[in-house]
Amino acid sequence: MKLPTRGKKIGSTLPKRDANAIFTRRAALLSIGGAGAAGAIGFRMAQLQATDAVSREYTMAADENRFDTRIIAPPRGVIYDRFGVVLAQTSKDYQVSVLLNDIDSEAERDEMIARVAAILGRDETWIRRTKARLNPQMRYEPQPVAEGLTWEEFNAINVRLPELRGVVANSADVRAYPYDIVYAHPIGYVQKPTQRDVDAALADPELGTSRATYLRNPYVRVGKAGLEASMEKELHGEAGWRKVIVNARGVEMGEDSGERREPIRGSGVVLTLDHDLQRIAMENFGEQSGSAVVMDIYTGDLLVMASAPGFDPNLFVNGISQTNFDTYNNDEKKPLYHKSVTGVYAPGSTFKMMVGIAAKQAGVEDDWAVGCSGGFAYGGRVFHCWRAGGHGRMNLHDAIKHSCDVYFYQAALRAGPERIAAVARAFGLGEHFDINVPNIRDGLIPDPTWWRANRNEEWTGGLTVNYGIGQGAMGITPLQLAVMAARLGNNGYAVRPRLVHEAPGVTDPPRAPHLAGIEPEYLARVRDGMFGVCNEPGGTAVRAGTLELVRHPETGAAVPLTPETRGWEPVQIAGKTGTAQVRALGANRGVHYSQIEWKYRDNALFCCFGPWHEPRYACAVIVEHGGAGSAVAGPIANQIMRATLQRDPSRRPAARLATLENRGGQQA
Amino acid sequence: MTLAATSNPNTFFERVMKLNWGIITLLVALAFVGVLMHFSVSSGAWTDMPLTHGMRFAVLLVVTLLAAMFLDTRFWLAVAYPLYAGALLLLVAVEVAGETRMGATRWLDLGFMSLQPSEIMKIAIVLALARYYHQLDPRRTGTVLWTIPPFLMIGAPVGLVMHQPDLGTAMLILFAGLTLMFLGGLLWRIIAVGAGLAIGGAVFAYNTVLHDYQRDRINVFLGLADDPLGAGYHVLQSKIAIGSAGLFGRGYLQGSQSQLDFLPEKHTDFIFTMIVEEFGLFGGFLVLGLYVALMGLAMQVALRARSLFGKLAAGGVAATLASYVFINMAMVIGLVPVVGIPLPMLSFGGTAMVTLMVCFAIVLSVDLHRDQHGTHGLLW
Repeated sequence: MKLPTRGKKIGSTLPKRDANAIFTRRAALLSIGGAGAAGAIGFRMAQLQATDAVSREYTMAADENRFDTRIIAPPRGVIYDRFGVVLAQTSKDYQVSVLLNDIDSEAERDEMIARVAAILGRDETWIRRTKARLNPQMRYEPQPVAEGLTWEEFNAINVRLPELRGVVANSADVRAYPYDIVYAHPIGYVQKPTQRDVDAALADPELGTSRATYLRNPYVRVGKAGLEASMEKELHGEAGWRKVIVNARGVEMGEDSGERREPIRGSGVVLTLDHDLQRIAMENFGEQSGSAVVMDIYTGDLLVMASAPGFDPNLFVNGISQTNFDTYNNDEKKPLYHKSVTGVYAPGSTFKMMVGIAAKQAGVEDDWAVGCSGGFAYGGRVFHCWRAGGHGRMNLHDAIKHSCDVYFYQAALRAGPERIAAVARAFGLGEHFDINVPNIRDGLIPDPTWWRANRNEEWTGGLTVNYGIGQGAMGITPLQLAVMAARLGNNGYAVRPRLVHEAPGVTDPPRAPHLAGIEPEYLARVRDGMFGVCNEPGGTAVRAGTLELVRHPETGAAVPLTPETRGWEPVQIAGKTGTAQVRALGANRGVHYSQIEWKYRDNALFCCFGPWHEPRYACAVIVEHGGAGSAVAGPIANQIMRATLQRDPSRRPAARLATLENRGGQQA
Repeated sequence: MTLAATSNPNTFFERVMKLNWGIITLLVALAFVGVLMHFSVSSGAWTDMPLTHGMRFAVLLVVTLLAAMFLDTRFWLAVAYPLYAGALLLLVAVEVAGETRMGATRWLDLGFMSLQPSEIMKIAIVLALARYYHQLDPRRTGTVLWTIPPFLMIGAPVGLVMHQPDLGTAMLILFAGLTLMFLGGLLWRIIAVGAGLAIGGAVFAYNTVLHDYQRDRINVFLGLADDPLGAGYHVLQSKIAIGSAGLFGRGYLQGSQSQLDFLPEKHTDFIFTMIVEEFGLFGGFLVLGLYVALMGLAMQVALRARSLFGKLAAGGVAATLASYVFINMAMVIGLVPVVGIPLPMLSFGGTAMVTLMVCFAIVLSVDLHRDQHGTHGLLW
């Protein structure tokens, strides 16, 4: 071994040392140290696993890392019409969602939103809305940013996903209303729970945070209007959940299929409405504003509950844009209002039947007659009849037929306000009917007691006179008007309306009791008068009251009047028109109709029942600011009744929920 | 010396036969594990990472074997001081004109590649000190005076690297240097005094020299601070992965912590965690065993080398490598603070692998030429 070393002599004072021997010893020491280190590392690894074997702490921590529980919002119950037509359903929707946790910065988020907007062809407004929509508190859940995509749009996003970090293409259950405006009011719509809903859940110790967490889930919808809101419990269903495997950024990588609870679909609801009739009712309103209600006078089933103009409830499901909402909200025809139950109107002449019955109760004889010269002087002022020239001598029958105001001014004075109010209430005016829609208004039937309590003044005879023609402080809803017509039609039974035919907890209505103190004899006169309105010469609604239907001699079914069916018995109805002022009496006098501002025009009303030979259906129509009841409301009621009597839905078996749900299970 | 003549490999075939095939086998085995793990890091796809790792190793292995066969101990002795001086100059150059990445100035931009001079110094310090003790009369190693130059030789690069700042590499250079001094015969008295000064210095360094992020890591490690989302996150996730692995692991490509990215830096510093998670305690012990065997063989090379330089170079390299392995492993199981040291042969990275293969070129060369004397026409 000869490697060059320094050959310098060193003094012998230093002790001799053998470098090779020292190296060997120290290398051995180092090796022992290394072995010790290796042992320590091995021991530590074993120790970590031993700890875990006892406490499972690392296994649980690893599971907590990789597993995430995701809520599956349940499909909502289907809403059917009485014959099983699907009016509200849950269908698959293609969406684009954003997982905020997978995005590093606000700049990257904006970049991704801009890319999605470019692919889908959305504008700046959409981009701004989307940024505002993404909730930073929900960063571990994908949040939908674009719903209702076409298959092409969905595909366009899907193929570009690799360059769209944090963007997820998914499908989700979404509520859909196939007949949009037709059922907007009775059925309503669902929406994302609001912050107030979340706060309410948090404030409720029984619901608590888990409920709040559920409500914050971007896929959860709750009923916010109509039946969807009032039957939320039945319709909502039970949420399921799935255990998903996520990576460190929260991106879903797979699913633990063993750990999944399927959601339970909400219960279906069968309504009393008849889709064909409801659609005809909505169509007949055209551009006009108002409401139509058709009711079975024995069961109380509401076959039509239309409110016009309608709105598209589908726009609300994923959050309505401000522009759309403003359009609806600023419309003077108030499309968002459910006029059937929240519209309160003066009944006008349709109230005269109540006055007539009250007068009969008070002992007014059938042959009691009043001379109408076009006005009635009372308390220092003149109350005009709608017909300036007067009607001449009028008894009860003729007064209803001609809608003579002067007769009812005096009849009201003979009956007195208390009695009239009692009759009106017995017939359902001012009564609360819970038909499973929210915000029902009860209207008002004032009487002297109410007047003293609320107006701080004494009732006057002048008020009674006005009462006689259904004007003044009183207000009724279209639903109540229909109930009134129904109770007249069924000879005084206290039938109550219902909108839900079959649903959990809904039972068939009990047999309606007869109205106390309403003798059939009183009713007969009034009903005859109503028949006159529609069928006798001089009646105020002869044209609107003629259905041009005849009875089949064998089956008894109503069929259209044609040359072939000429000579068969006509199918007739009995009704009453109403034209109610919305301004102070006489404010519109002398002004040409077309010159009056829309909102100051009279409300047109019509109520009726039929068929006359065997009454089964009652109908009420109110057209807001439509003008004369006979000219505007009557024709709409005519079309609806014509369709109703031909269709005769009450004599056909309604669909059963159990059958529908078995079929609908796969369908919807 | 007839005996020496027979044991001196002269033909190419002879040299191939006399290579330390035990060490080579272990290197190949470790590199194979590396490719396997990088395939798993890529979620089971032949991406650039496992391919590059494998190719890099294959090329470097060939170069290493050729270097070991044709460069003898003399060569390493000759280049020891120039290499050290050059590395030191480059470290100064980094200080003056270095490139700053991620808050640290460690790289020199050479135009065609980036160079990390501290990597060269890891080897240079071993060779330089080996030469120093090789040429020093054994009697003088026991004097305080002749102990000063080694300290200076170590102190200069350690100070420069620490200033970059790269605490991990500085510690490795310091450790390598001290190991060489220890093997070279440093007196126990001086060791005792040095240890005392080191502890004092550590406390001093903690309070003055260390950067906040380094201090954070130490605080979290010592349990003085709780920070599961910051400095402690890496180790916490690593411990979860190892603790939950079980005896045989969750299965290849199945480690949830690794595959779902909860484990950070799994392709570099935390690759050992991934091995344990997917192959269990069994896999961990197997890899640990491969390293222990490799270090053992390297130490054996040192013990049977004839020249002191050969002994010190091979022993120093073996000890340095052992320190890398053990510090990395201790780091991922939470025994020492996270300092950012890759695991030799397994972690992904070109520079580290080049450094490593140079180390084994030295070991294999010392082993192949352990009995050699005289010159045989190489280089000078």
